[in-house]
Amino acid sequence: MNRLLIRYSLLSLCVLIHGCTSDYQFLKSVRVDNGCGRVTSPTWVGTSWYHTSVDVTGKHLSGLVLIKNMPDSSRRIVFTSEAGVTFFDFGFDQNGRFSVHSIIKKLDKKPIINTLEKDFALITGIPFKSGDVQAWSMGNEIYFGVQQKKETAYFITNKDCSSLRRLELGTKMKRKISVRIARNGYPLPDSLDINHYTFPLRIQLIRFEKE
Amino acid sequence: MSYSVHLRFSVTCLMVAGLVSHIDTSVYAQYPGYTPVRDIVSFKKQFSQESTKVLSITSEFTQEKTLMALTEKITSTGKFWFKRSNRVRLEYSKPFTYLVIMSGDRILLRDHQKETRVNAKSNKLFQQVNRIMIDCVQGTILESKDFTTRVFENEITLLLEMTPVSKTLKEFFKTIVLSVDKKDYSAKSILMNEPMGDITLISFDHKKLNEPIADTVFAP
Repeated sequence: MNRLLIRYSLLSLCVLIHGCTSDYQFLKSVRVDNGCGRVTSPTWVGTSWYHTSVDVTGKHLSGLVLIKNMPDSSRRIVFTSEAGVTFFDFGFDQNGRFSVHSIIKKLDKKPIINTLEKDFALITGIPFKSGDVQAWSMGNEIYFGVQQKKETAYFITNKDCSSLRRLELGTKMKRKISVRIARNGYPLPDSLDINHYTFPLRIQLIRFEKE
Repeated sequence: MSYSVHLRFSVTCLMVAGLVSHIDTSVYAQYPGYTPVRDIVSFKKQFSQESTKVLSITSEFTQEKTLMALTEKITSTGKFWFKRSNRVRLEYSKPFTYLVIMSGDRILLRDHQKETRVNAKSNKLFQQVNRIMIDCVQGTILESKDFTTRVFENEITLLLEMTPVSKTLKEFFKTIVLSVDKKDYSAKSILMNEPMGDITLISFDHKKLNEPIADTVFAP
């Protein structure tokens, strides 16, 4: 019984320590290298189609995502089924303000829309367009971050700033979203892999050329 | 009949006639070169009889999705198989790969990541969408309770314009227009008009009718 109690206490302590550990606790503030930030900042240009799969709470669905820069510098994101039915049509205006042009009832729920807004804002580089950029180093990586209310959006490069490694969104304590980017990255990334850490959601986008 | 009653009656007749002629004009404007089929009851009977002669279809297909507000069009192509009754295989090959097999109530979906099996019975929306494609190609769409139908024709083609009845389908489609070849009663194209104005046109080309197709093609 005693041994069981010790084991239980150790386990609880581990969970407690891990729970209190911040994913960003080892970030060290560094001077912002504007040249580096400008070169590697994720900036979306043009129009791209992606074959997309979504895994959410054990369920899988797929479709096509169109990300299009409009002539007035706004941006539209449309998700359709492969057979052509439109599920949603979102927009970000020139100032990054988000709007829903259309969405089917099954998806028309605030938590879903908020989640997708954050995902698409992050992958199209909207937080980095106008916010004050700060920089930190951790290991052999540089984190460029822009504060957004209670969260920070990061684009993360290697130390010599030669490549963009990934994007993240997190609170002070916890990483909430990370985006892995294919070797052929911005301005039109070949593939994007969006992972959520606060609930089981993964969105994978693979670019294809229109016929 | 007093003069005023007679006048009122005549004006009403004119108004009704005017409305009818207006409807006809709008129909012609909507589908130029087509006239409405008036005797729907006998048409349904004939359509049902003729359609049953199509036992299988193998064809290529081209799907064009137009996003009106974004002036964006995407074209995809692939192969299509149908076997009476209730079996369809759609295999997209360009510019992405995607497979749909419908066999009765069983549906298999295969994208670039995963294979998913769905039982249409357990999902009302899947069941309704699944039935549209099957009903369109096997000629049973006129019996569907999910739509009200208007029929138009010219010398070589029948147009079946279907308007969804249920709220669920209305959310996805304003109308679906099925174009049928009069010579063999096989589907030529399916046009899906969405409520926000986007359209998807699936056209069937190089059709081979009533050639044997192995059951394994539809194994979900």
